Amino acid sequence: MASRVALKGKGKSGKGSKASENRSTAKCLKEWSTWAVKKAKVITHYGFIPLVIIIGMNSEPKPQLSQLLSPV
Amino acid sequence: MAATVPPPTHVAKENEIKIEEKIDYLNLPCPIPYEEIHREALMSLKPELFEGMRFDFTKGLNQKFSLSHSMFMGPMEVPSQSTETIKIPTSHYEFGANFLDPKLMLFGRILTDGRLNARVKCDLTDNLTLKANAQLTSEPHMSHGMGNFDYKGKDYRAQFQLGNGALFGANYIQSVTPHLSLGGEVFWAGQHRKSGIGFAGRYNSDKMVATGQVASTGMVALSYVQKVSEKVSLASDFMYNYMSRDVTTSFGYDYILRQCRLRGKIDSNGCTAAFLEERLNMGLNFILSAEIDHRKKDYKFGFGLTVGE
Repeated sequence: MASRVALKGKGKSGKGSKASENRSTAKCLKEWSTWAVKKAKVITHYGFIPLVIIIGMNSEPKPQLSQLLSPV
Repeated sequence: MAATVPPPTHVAKENEIKIEEKIDYLNLPCPIPYEEIHREALMSLKPELFEGMRFDFTKGLNQKFSLSHSMFMGPMEVPSQSTETIKIPTSHYEFGANFLDPKLMLFGRILTDGRLNARVKCDLTDNLTLKANAQLTSEPHMSHGMGNFDYKGKDYRAQFQLGNGALFGANYIQSVTPHLSLGGEVFWAGQHRKSGIGFAGRYNSDKMVATGQVASTGMVALSYVQKVSEKVSLASDFMYNYMSRDVTTSFGYDYILRQCRLRGKIDSNGCTAAFLEERLNMGLNFILSAEIDHRKKDYKFGFGLTVGE
């Protein structure tokens, strides 16, 4: 009887480990996607306006740097 | 005997007119995008009213690229629980950069308190457009972003939207006759566990535009704009929420004259507003805004100057 209980216990832990593996990969994926979205938000927040300025300064006809900074 | 025969020319003219009016159902025009269905009414009835002083300076560096500097000083309304409106005097400076290309449009504005307002519109192919729009702040959980994919067909448009907080939406609008277009939308908001479906229709002719929209969130919106002449148009709008039993109706006028544009409206909430944009000189515009809310006893007056295109 004790051996049966022990076998049952082993079976359960086997299934449990597979299920927990699946859960942990889903969790990992969710964590990574949340981390990626957070980093993307910070990058967009700081980098969007400089990106627009860089694209604009490289468009034809190329404006001068002094035109960017002067108020006239 | 000769008197009973009807003149053949009269019948021939009627037939000609009938042939001209016959609609070519395979060649209908492309409809207005679904979110712009109330465009004329919104332009006339909801100008950008503000309170305080506003100064905008737009400097173009070349045809496609421009920078903008904007200053605002005035009271800002703070949402409050009581019926009294609480206003706090604030001032901010906003720096912006715009890049306009036929295929790519980038628009960014950043405020002194760190809030970024960004819009991107990119034509991926002739018919497919990607639009994205984001308001980012330094405070956590207060930023939103939304992206749309628009497909423009011969006489229909379809759009798919993705937003943060697991917001998904799709809408479709089809031209049914040269004057009438009908459309529908569905959306699902994961964070608030809400979903909804809506239908809209728009009938336009040279002189008038009538639109109607119903949504399962309880909103019914109808609008009618009549172009009385080249310079004058009158608009009216009716909004009813059958869940919260809220009704608002407004009437307004829009005068587009050579040197100025004057818009005024009166509301069923006891609110009257007017907005004047006067062109003083090439590239110099003077703006006056007034809004009087008789029910809440809230009086807002604003003035400003816009320099540049």
